Amino acid sequence: MAAIYKVSYVVIGEEHPGAILNVDHMPEVGERVELGRRQFTVVEVFELVPPRGEFHFLHATLAPAED
Amino acid sequence: MDLIAILKRVELFEGLAPVQLEAVAKICQERKYASDELVTAQGDPADELFIVCEGFVEIVLDSSSEASTPRTVVSLGPGQIVGEMGLVDYGPRSANVRATTDPTVVQVIQRIDFEALCDHDNQLGYIVMRNMAADLSFKLRRTNYAER
Repeated sequence: MAAIYKVSYVVIGEEHPGAILNVDHMPEVGERVELGRRQFTVVEVFELVPPRGEFHFLHATLAPAED
Repeated sequence: MDLIAILKRVELFEGLAPVQLEAVAKICQERKYASDELVTAQGDPADELFIVCEGFVEIVLDSSSEASTPRTVVSLGPGQIVGEMGLVDYGPRSANVRATTDPTVVQVIQRIDFEALCDHDNQLGYIVMRNMAADLSFKLRRTNYAER
């Protein structure tokens, strides 16, 4: 089975609850992410805990996207 | 996507054998919610576990005072579990859970079925309980990092 990335998204720079969800690729710095119809830019990604089986556990910090 | 394929993408069931996943699938019940529909309310008895399969739910804390508004603490998307605290500690719901997408599809597991399955297959019970502890740990770590 392909890797599954469980990602904790935390938003900085504004009041936003962030999200936790499984995605099928590892987020990268500079990537755009949509949460609740809002666009954000990934500014930091790191491994929260070591992988277990196919699951990878990541923390990503988001900033409001500048259009 | 069939239910077994969905369950394979849920961390709670990581490490289960195919036959064990089939046993879990047998106690799952699908529910669909419209956007803004309440899945469960703060203070309610907690005898169900929810697995988000499609869409998002948000976890909302009621305010302790009437003057302030409820606060959303996180949104949970596909693959995430909701309601695990009450499933293991028998306490009431600690927050409201509200669907934010239309539709939001969840699989529901009743506590009585979950406990019976864990009693019947202790290895399954150990794996699922370990994964549930890991999920709670993940959420706590997230909170710690978010408050840096």
